[in-house]
Amino acid sequence: MNALLLPVDREWYAIESSWVREVAAAPLLVPLPTAPATVLGVFNLRGEIVPVFDVGRLLGVGQSPDHPFVVVVDSGLGLAALAAHAVPELADLGEQLGAADVPGGVARFACDRRVAVLLAVDEVLAPARIGGGRA
Amino acid sequence: MNNLGGYEEEFRRLFADESQTRLLRLSTDLLRLEEAGNDAELVASIFRDAHSIKGAAGMVGLDAVARVAHVMEDLLEGLRNGERMASPELVDGLLVAVDALRSLIPAMLQGEALDDEAAVVEAGVRALVDVPGRHGTPSAVAPADVPPPGSEPEPASADREAAPRRRADAAAETIRVPVTRLDELVRLVGESAAAHLRMGRMLADVLDVDPATLGEFRELSHVLNELQEKTMRARMVPVATITDNLHRAVRDVARSCGKDVHWEVRGEDTELDRSMLEQLADPLLHLVRNAVDHGIEPPEEREAAGKPRQATVRLHAMQLGSEVIIAVSDDGGGIDVDRVREQAARRGDDVTGVSDEDALYLTFRSGLSTAGFISDVSGRGVGLDVVRTSVDAARGRIEVLSTPGRGTEFRIVVPITLAVLPCLLLEAGGHRYAVPMHSVLVAQEVDDDALVHAEGRPTMWVGSQAVVVSDLGRVLGAERDAAGPVVVLSAVTRRHAFRVGALLGQRDVVVKGLGRLLPRLDVLAGAGVEPDGSVLLVLDAPGVIDRARKLRDRPGTTTAAAAAGGRDRPAPGPRGAILVVDDALTVRELQRSILERAGYRVRTADDGVDALARLAEEPVDLVLTDIEMPRLDGFGLTEAIRGHASLATTPVVILTSRATAEDRRRGLDSGADGYIVKSAFDEAALLNAVERLLGRAP
Repeated sequence: MNALLLPVDREWYAIESSWVREVAAAPLLVPLPTAPATVLGVFNLRGEIVPVFDVGRLLGVGQSPDHPFVVVVDSGLGLAALAAHAVPELADLGEQLGAADVPGGVARFACDRRVAVLLAVDEVLAPARIGGGRA
Repeated sequence: MNNLGGYEEEFRRLFADESQTRLLRLSTDLLRLEEAGNDAELVASIFRDAHSIKGAAGMVGLDAVARVAHVMEDLLEGLRNGERMASPELVDGLLVAVDALRSLIPAMLQGEALDDEAAVVEAGVRALVDVPGRHGTPSAVAPADVPPPGSEPEPASADREAAPRRRADAAAETIRVPVTRLDELVRLVGESAAAHLRMGRMLADVLDVDPATLGEFRELSHVLNELQEKTMRARMVPVATITDNLHRAVRDVARSCGKDVHWEVRGEDTELDRSMLEQLADPLLHLVRNAVDHGIEPPEEREAAGKPRQATVRLHAMQLGSEVIIAVSDDGGGIDVDRVREQAARRGDDVTGVSDEDALYLTFRSGLSTAGFISDVSGRGVGLDVVRTSVDAARGRIEVLSTPGRGTEFRIVVPITLAVLPCLLLEAGGHRYAVPMHSVLVAQEVDDDALVHAEGRPTMWVGSQAVVVSDLGRVLGAERDAAGPVVVLSAVTRRHAFRVGALLGQRDVVVKGLGRLLPRLDVLAGAGVEPDGSVLLVLDAPGVIDRARKLRDRPGTTTAAAAAGGRDRPAPGPRGAILVVDDALTVRELQRSILERAGYRVRTADDGVDALARLAEEPVDLVLTDIEMPRLDGFGLTEAIRGHASLATTPVVILTSRATAEDRRRGLDSGADGYIVKSAFDEAALLNAVERLLGRAP
């Protein structure tokens, strides 16, 4: 399966290529006051205002230290960007290693001596994961 | 089924659209029929619509709907040939049928088997054949003017219906465009304007040319401005698009509470942004129902006061600069300010020294009502605080004027459009923000000497009002600005001052939403894109003010925690204690379960005597009682509570299956605070009524 590998801290997360619109470098982030911690801010992508999310916090595995790159995905509810702390890589996912434990994770895959967790983007970006606001 | 070839789907879709349009017009025309009597052209139009629905329904296989339309047609035939006059009862019955068809047809087109329901509607219309016609003078139009049955109705020449008809003809020259396409146009025009600004900067920075000296550049600016304005216009709709619904509400409420009300609309051609008008539809509906139900006195009372029996409720729309004012006024009894004060006092507010004018604004607080009484009509547990919330959401403000014995007027003031807003640009806590100009009252440098301190908070005088000053940066969860100018924001009825880092100027901002992925952030109205491509956040005054007040009310809250938490949910802790009084066990237990789930402590009693015994053991925060009970009924219980020294201020809500005006008056006389009719009973209505009386301001 063709996927984009997203480096988050020391871990790798994979997103199926069909979700991905583009990768943007060094977006100018504007933080949103009172937003939940999963939201790093918004940036302008050719006139469209796109929210940027902290993948580590969405998955509850910690927070991304830095975000020089973002992967823009089409979530079905509009564009969203997932922050990456290094250049995302295109890769073919290899052997499946088992089910994933993180919420929104589909399965673990072997990929070039690394372990990448394939994400279901719509589940990762579910309102309950993003948090904040009123029910 | 029929000879539709492969186009069956297409025909059904067309019928779905067409039938809705026709049914909508039918209900409008029926309302006019009631006022105009057997106007030949109007009857003809109604007849045509029923006839077309019959034909088309049969074609797409909705035979049950066709039968309903057929019976309607038969009935209308009587109107057309002058055998029968339009009576309120007849119009009532036809409106019910039209409403039913409006929901039945889409469901049936989706494949739901609702033939039985349609048959019920059909029987309802059939029963109208026996309804007597209007008594007394027949309508202004003599039956001779009515075309003989079977002939095609001719267009009227110059009767009084001609003007609205012409409007309908003008509408025929329009086309339907999906709103999304218009939104896209607006977005692209905004983009062009931003690109144009960037180009100007590039000319200056890279080529060292002042763009203002270039004729071509100025020409482009001019055209883009005009394009922007025209595109905005395309999204505007006249107020007339929502007035039919309001007319219907006035009529229905008036009939249900036995009042004679004349409905009047002025300035219905006033245009405003479609999404803005949509947001105002509900608050206006509420104000109009409120006017009829609470504002207008019963006809006998009006006569006794020397007023005409027929009351008037008027909607007046007008444009004033970049704002639209929509006023709903009535010539009823006015708001009883003393009663409002009394209610506020009972909720624990300090009302000493509150002027009559300020007391009027108290009605927008949660838990207070203009009637002092939650009735089943406009009440349903929604008060003016809900109107306030909707107007807040539309970034507008609301004003109220009331003269005892003369009437009440509510004015909603909103910007014409939300898409482009003139904004004040400022810096707070190290970030740049825009604030819509219409919510900025004052922006000025303020010396520390000009500030007074009260309860540990800096306060400044704005006119005759003392306004608390908060630090905007801290309210938004960022750094505090030690010194800097102060901006006073106003939202509906609230004012609050904010210390900011710096004022940066004014600019029109094309405001975009933040998208559906993010949770709603109350402090933000949206965002715009700056000429340099960065995002400029637009603050929402009502949200910012609410947040400032909430932080102020919770001393010791760290801003970091407040910033991380987003909007807080109400704490689910214990709420009030409620005594439920009803002789029917099922009713009692139903109410108990609803209230307990909402977090209230509930005790129960079988009748009035039992209730008083329970209250003697331990007082409660609210009593919810049935009327008809053995030993002591609900009225008696209410009177006993009011007459008891320590219980007198306990709110009492009467819940009953009775709905007559007489009952309601008795309830009011006995001193009850609210009245919920069981037929209109639902969980939300009950909880709303209870929450309003217990003063759980959001």
